[in-house]
Amino acid sequence: MLSIRKSLDSTARANVGTVMHLLLIEDDAEAARFLAKGLRESGYVVDIASDGREGLFRATEGSYDLIIADRQLPHFDGLSIVAMLRRNGRHIPVLILSALGSVDDRIEGLRAGGDDYLTKPFAFGELLARIEALLRRGNVPEVTTRIRIADLELDLLGRKVIRAGKPIDVTSKEFQLLEFLARRAGQVVTRTMLLEAVWDLHFDPQTNVIDVHISRLRAAIDRGFERPLLHTVRGAGYVLRDGG
Amino acid sequence: MGVDRILRMSSARLALFYGALVTVLTSILLVSVYLVTRSALEREINAVVRAEVEDLADELRLGGVERVAATLRLRTDSWGRTGAVFLLADEHFRRIAGNLSEWPQNVAPVTSTMIEFEIRARERETEVLHPVEARIERLENGYWLLVGADTSERNTVLRRFFLATLWGVGLTALCIWLLGATYARRTARRVREYATTCETIMQGDLTQRLRVDRSHDEFDALASAVNAMLAALERQTTTLRAAFDSIAHDLRTPLYRLRVRLEEAQLRHTAGTQSQTAAETEELVGPALEELDRVQRTLATLLEIARAEAQGLTTHGDRVDLAALAGNMVELYGPGMRAAGLEVTLDAPEPAPLTGNRQLLAQLITNLLENALKYVPAGGHVRVGVHNTPGAISFSVRDNGPGVAPGDRDAALRPFVRVGDAATRATGSGLGLSLAAAVARLHGAQLTLGDNAPGLIVHCDFPRNPG
Repeated sequence: MLSIRKSLDSTARANVGTVMHLLLIEDDAEAARFLAKGLRESGYVVDIASDGREGLFRATEGSYDLIIADRQLPHFDGLSIVAMLRRNGRHIPVLILSALGSVDDRIEGLRAGGDDYLTKPFAFGELLARIEALLRRGNVPEVTTRIRIADLELDLLGRKVIRAGKPIDVTSKEFQLLEFLARRAGQVVTRTMLLEAVWDLHFDPQTNVIDVHISRLRAAIDRGFERPLLHTVRGAGYVLRDGG
Repeated sequence: MGVDRILRMSSARLALFYGALVTVLTSILLVSVYLVTRSALEREINAVVRAEVEDLADELRLGGVERVAATLRLRTDSWGRTGAVFLLADEHFRRIAGNLSEWPQNVAPVTSTMIEFEIRARERETEVLHPVEARIERLENGYWLLVGADTSERNTVLRRFFLATLWGVGLTALCIWLLGATYARRTARRVREYATTCETIMQGDLTQRLRVDRSHDEFDALASAVNAMLAALERQTTTLRAAFDSIAHDLRTPLYRLRVRLEEAQLRHTAGTQSQTAAETEELVGPALEELDRVQRTLATLLEIARAEAQGLTTHGDRVDLAALAGNMVELYGPGMRAAGLEVTLDAPEPAPLTGNRQLLAQLITNLLENALKYVPAGGHVRVGVHNTPGAISFSVRDNGPGVAPGDRDAALRPFVRVGDAATRATGSGLGLSLAAAVARLHGAQLTLGDNAPGLIVHCDFPRNPG
């Protein structure tokens, strides 16, 4: 976890610049303490609310960049908090944590207005990556035609990949993968996030099926070039960035 | 069995009620017939007597007393056969003619209504009384004419009729009550039998079944339905029991390994090796996290199976194109499978839309592909097929791997059952196929394993609109 945190930490600082304020609404004191510690070490400022009422109060009164809400809470559950915030016109990103992990629970959570849904237990790296993704959503405009990372260039209209002026052949799924990574260049992207985004699958297969796709993509874009762009972050996922 | 207990049985109450009803109705019918017959007979005698009286009155007018007397003498011998009674008497009730020896005693000369009296007659040395109904007329010359009929014959007929009626009512009632009692007893016996069987089942013996006696009556229908329900329950309970046993085993093993690793870490830490390197930590913690992930995946899959078994497709029935979904999954697994030396082909020529849960269907395909990846040796083929057939969508995954022995096929669909040799057994969670089967059932399809000669065919037909 140390290595994950270090790599995430540096990217977060480099790209975000200002300190981000998070509100963690979690009634399990032990879990809240552990999560807050990890998040603070990753450079975030974290407030903890231990029940739904306090959580809703803080979320309404304070100015946070992101809320992490447990789904099952005393007084108000996580979904009600999101729903109330949305009714009051607050569009602050909310990540829901839940021990309810079925497909239906997830859909319910997202329908209530949650921006992302993470089933307990999860790897801390997964949480960090998703927080990162939510905080930076909107930094890269949705409507863009070209993305450039170092000497790698993606033509989103023509669905073409060019590196150092040389066109690279990729399959359409590989292009989707690369686009997802490129839009989040510098951020760690987990296997689960890729499965969700590229294949629309909301469960984890038993085998590391994503790794094969990544290594094929890596072979396509990095082979024969001095500086690799697609990096593996141990225990967390992958990141597309210029330099180690 | 006490009377009140009998009366508490609905079938007995019903039989009793119908018995009473039929008895009353039969009685009313037979008594009416009796009464109608009796009055008809009475009217007939009346009419005959009246006609006779008028006849004789005419004779008197035409030929006087002499002629009446002569007529009566002529008719006297017919007494025995017709039972007719005549008597012509003078104003002092002295006999002139007729088949009575004298004016009957205690009979007042009342005209215009029928009178009844008895006459004594000698028959075979004994004296018998004959009841008679008669009319008395005062003739124009002051004589008395008595015309009547012996009613003993009629009374005998009526008496017999009455007895027959009584017997009829009695026998009908008896038969109906006997039938009712038999029916009630039979019903009660079967219901009691069912109750006894149910009690045995409630005590935990799910192998018991209600008796079906091939009479094809409603009890058989009920028993068959209940038996089908019991079979389903038994299957679920067996699955559950097996699942509990296996969960205990399958979770204990990784938890044990986890514990060993954590203890080792603790041991090293307390041993004072402060300079524990990151690599050393990783060496201890990494595998522990992997074990945890395995436990977590097993639990998640179990929950998913339980949910698929428990819920209907009430929530989130999306339109899913199974052909496109299969394409997506083959796309996802293709590179990995090719890297493992397998050839994967997709045969899904046209869209195959059905109503279902996309994520669960994807999970089904995933599990089948991962199974193939696990069991089919390098060089093998895996073919995924999605075809529209009339009324259903036929989905299949075929390989040319080791297959599953016919005797193991049912078992392979149950949770935690791993088939094949020890080496391949060790790799799986034993849940893949049973989750696939549960998802198929949720979509109204049945997952079957077959022989691809060589290899395995996993097949299921999805109805386009389940439920």
